[in-house]
Amino acid sequence: MNNLVSSRAVGGACLLCRRGAAVSARVTQQRPHPPPLTRLSSRLLSSRQGGTMNVFDRNMKRRQKKWASSLQEHNKYDYLRDEVGSRVADRIYDIARTFPLALDVGCGKSHIAEHLSKEVVERLFLTDISDGLLRQKKESEMPTHCVMADEEFLPFRENTFDLVVSSLSMHWINDLPGALRQIHQVLKPDGVFIGAMVGGETLYELRCSLQLAELEREGGFSPHISPYTAVTDLGNLLGQAGFNMLTVDVDEIQVHYPGMLDVMCDLQGMGESNCVWNRKSLLHRDTILAAAAVYKEMYGNEDGSVPATFEILYMIGWKPHESQVKPAKRGSATASFADLSKISQSEASIKTDNP
Amino acid sequence: MSGPNVWTRSRERMRRFPDLLAQCSTEAAAYGKCVVATTTGKQELKKDLCAKEFEGLKACFVSAAKRGMK
Repeated sequence: MNNLVSSRAVGGACLLCRRGAAVSARVTQQRPHPPPLTRLSSRLLSSRQGGTMNVFDRNMKRRQKKWASSLQEHNKYDYLRDEVGSRVADRIYDIARTFPLALDVGCGKSHIAEHLSKEVVERLFLTDISDGLLRQKKESEMPTHCVMADEEFLPFRENTFDLVVSSLSMHWINDLPGALRQIHQVLKPDGVFIGAMVGGETLYELRCSLQLAELEREGGFSPHISPYTAVTDLGNLLGQAGFNMLTVDVDEIQVHYPGMLDVMCDLQGMGESNCVWNRKSLLHRDTILAAAAVYKEMYGNEDGSVPATFEILYMIGWKPHESQVKPAKRGSATASFADLSKISQSEASIKTDNP
Repeated sequence: MSGPNVWTRSRERMRRFPDLLAQCSTEAAAYGKCVVATTTGKQELKKDLCAKEFEGLKACFVSAAKRGMK
């Protein structure tokens, strides 16, 4: 859904108007039964110029994250973030550099920094929309600074960071092209962005079971799983934001749960509940029962557990700089592609072919 | 977190859900098969297509819940 509509740079003034609009939207939401038309218009008002790109209720997401961070055993829902955080850290280690100043966008409880050493990142800024999560940040070697900020509006000056990372938070951003552009802005030239977000076919089991069950029980369905970015769009998104030397890859993580209810409980514990604007406010008991039965029948394993698939999209992009390797000029080739088949021959014979 | 209220009570009830569902595995499988069959065959999934199977599942679920209360 985060499609490739070009976005505008967001200035400070817009941040203010957005704040105000978001508050007014919340007030309308709290009315017991708002007529559909007013609700729609308030939704459009609360967005910036591009009304089409306001899919998620960011205020709701903040509340969900706050709720999740207030749970007594909040740590037991961290397994997915810890795993993906370590994989993002892995990708940082792949770059043979020391980054003096780094930024983690949507850090949660800082799941990347705990896997990093201070030889790689010397100072780290952490941002998240929920202060509850920031307060519970995990220990890390390097000094960190917490900033409570919306990922959609980064409060940093241009050309500030040598490295920007993000793990499992960008799938809730309304204006993904704009957010990537801002990340590009705060990066220094030759800085790198390494991100991970869920996308593609994530949670298709839950999506299908709920749809089938709602269709059979209620005669129609509403979105319970949010729309995701397709991996094929990611390259274009990064390219449009100005990054070059892109790397995009997909990882599939399958988690096995005792049942559908456990999948849903854990998602809630991660603060990953649905926050699409047009979500349905409740799921009927009959539908839950029906969906649980369908989930088990359709996807269940032999041992009685059910799988939930998370497709993690990793992206790496560099802010352009003169020192970076450029593609060679057109017509500068010294060998022909037609000779590719001869490459397997010994080096000596190739040399005689192309003196 | 606040003390017990309607949310924590319903949450508590939902905690028993997997147990109760496990007691009705045959009924759940029958209902599941009925719904899943529509994803492969020509039959289109409509409201109450598997009403009979669902009634069976729900009756079993409710009685299992009652048994648990005693």
